Amino acid sequence: MSAVDTVTLTTPRARRRILLRKRFLRRPMAVAGLVIVVGLVVVALFAPWIAPYSPGATDFNAILASPSSKHWLGTDFLGRDELSRLIWGARASMQAGFFATVVAMVIAVPIGLVAGYYRGWIDTVIARLTDVLLAFPFLILAVGLAAIFGPSLLNATLALGIGAAPALIRVSRGEALAQREEDYVPAAIANGASDATIIFRHILPNMSSTLLVQATLTIPAAIVGEAILSFLGLGVQPPTPSWGTMLQDAQSYLSQAPRLAVIPGLAIVAAALAFNVLGDGLRDIFDPRTTR
Amino acid sequence: MGGFLLRKVGAALVVLVIASMLVFAGVRAIPGDPAIALGAEDRDPALLAQIRHKYMLDRPLPVQYVHWVWLALHGDLGVDQRELPVAHTIVTRIPITLEIAVLSLVVSVIIGIPAGVIAAVRRGKPEDYLATTGALIGLSVPHFWLGLLFIIWFAVDLHWLPASGYVSMSHPIANIEHMIMPAIVLGTGFAAVLMRQMRSSMLSSLGADYVRTARAKGLSERSVIWRHAFRNSLITITTLLGLQLGALISGVVVTETIFGIAGFGRLTIDAVNQRDYTLIQGVVLVTAAGYVIVNLLVDILYSFLNPRIRVS
Repeated sequence: MSAVDTVTLTTPRARRRILLRKRFLRRPMAVAGLVIVVGLVVVALFAPWIAPYSPGATDFNAILASPSSKHWLGTDFLGRDELSRLIWGARASMQAGFFATVVAMVIAVPIGLVAGYYRGWIDTVIARLTDVLLAFPFLILAVGLAAIFGPSLLNATLALGIGAAPALIRVSRGEALAQREEDYVPAAIANGASDATIIFRHILPNMSSTLLVQATLTIPAAIVGEAILSFLGLGVQPPTPSWGTMLQDAQSYLSQAPRLAVIPGLAIVAAALAFNVLGDGLRDIFDPRTTR
Repeated sequence: MGGFLLRKVGAALVVLVIASMLVFAGVRAIPGDPAIALGAEDRDPALLAQIRHKYMLDRPLPVQYVHWVWLALHGDLGVDQRELPVAHTIVTRIPITLEIAVLSLVVSVIIGIPAGVIAAVRRGKPEDYLATTGALIGLSVPHFWLGLLFIIWFAVDLHWLPASGYVSMSHPIANIEHMIMPAIVLGTGFAAVLMRQMRSSMLSSLGADYVRTARAKGLSERSVIWRHAFRNSLITITTLLGLQLGALISGVVVTETIFGIAGFGRLTIDAVNQRDYTLIQGVVLVTAAGYVIVNLLVDILYSFLNPRIRVS
């Protein structure tokens, strides 16, 4: 054991971090998921520098061209480079995935915390309202909201975030209910801590691993949701590239250029799979008891 | 039992009333003047006023709401932009969507339940890995994309099945030919959810005391698995069916769009795209009502399967 390890091992928090990292590295699927997720984020962030062509640049001499050294994944019905559109499409997907999850968390976590901590009538009211919102299927809610706000990536993201919130309210309420029964709550009360301190300084940090796992599992749902909304014409508007609009465009050329329908779909699957595997892995390392 | 039923029905009614208010308020929040939408190109103020009066758009919102609910309770959901009765349109579309939903449920049960049982019984063996990996892929593949792939393979390349459209059930063979792809596309995703749930509840059943007792009695392994563990796991599956209904409805919307089937889901998207207020209102209300009713039925069914629920 090196000198560095001896020093870090002295604090419990550092010890836990090392333990978690060890558990994580023992899960090759989760590590692979993380690698793909990081890759996608990098591609999304640096799309203008990575993409070989501008995503909107048309080439009428190369319409529906097959893959070649010039266009690695071929071109679409306007002669636009498929690879460049795929790279820019990652941007829309990652944006929708991350920001929809942030929106959902910002709405759901405080509501769930209040319901779970105070219980009583406020909990009953919140639980009932959540039931009502859950009565609208996720997509119907998102479709309806996209119709109200008008179709765009921002609005689709908001709609997906609001649509994902009810389920997250349930999770954070349940977690807050459980945490409230822990010994540290009466201890904090005895110390004279206010409700706000207990909720935000004690309960919330203890929920963070559950919330992180939920976030990792909400992102892929939002990514697929964005693709569906854009596919239905309720999300990203052409000519802006998104995996969903690319699939919509491809629908008219299924017999001439099936690859146009295959490639963006593979990208969606890869992204969703990576986040799902990462989320499952995180759940396993935070709570080894639930290991499947 | 009576008290339990009453409480459940009461809660469902409350949910339904609030949902109807949200639908009503939500539709009012859609930008655009419904009178102009109904009047089409005609912007004559007198005509618009007449339309507003006819559809009670000139009355206060609460009055409009009560009027709408009153008519809805009598099966009248108003008329859409084409002057067709909304309730009638919905009633003609629902059987098509129900057929897709039922067929895809059949597909998912046929795949998901045996796969879940096998994965649990053969835990840690290759069969388990195959089933769990399959489920993970099934969860990550968006069904609208799977639909496009199916059209490419089975309709465009192989010419086995028609790419889109719907044929009524009076022509059973053509009907099934048109329905088989949508049902499989929608069913496989649901099968993945079902398989995961079946596997985990079978695993906890197999670890329970009564299974140990059954084994100790010297019952055959087949009897332990099917008569004891499996029957108890079915209870969880019942709840899951209710919870997954929302996902199923969402799935139907997309599937119908891809396969060009004029069902209830397609109607929803068309209503939104055409900004047809009355139609949106009716469609969303029926969706919410359907969801609440099915969940109520699931709750009741669940209490029959598991008497402990009724008591608590």
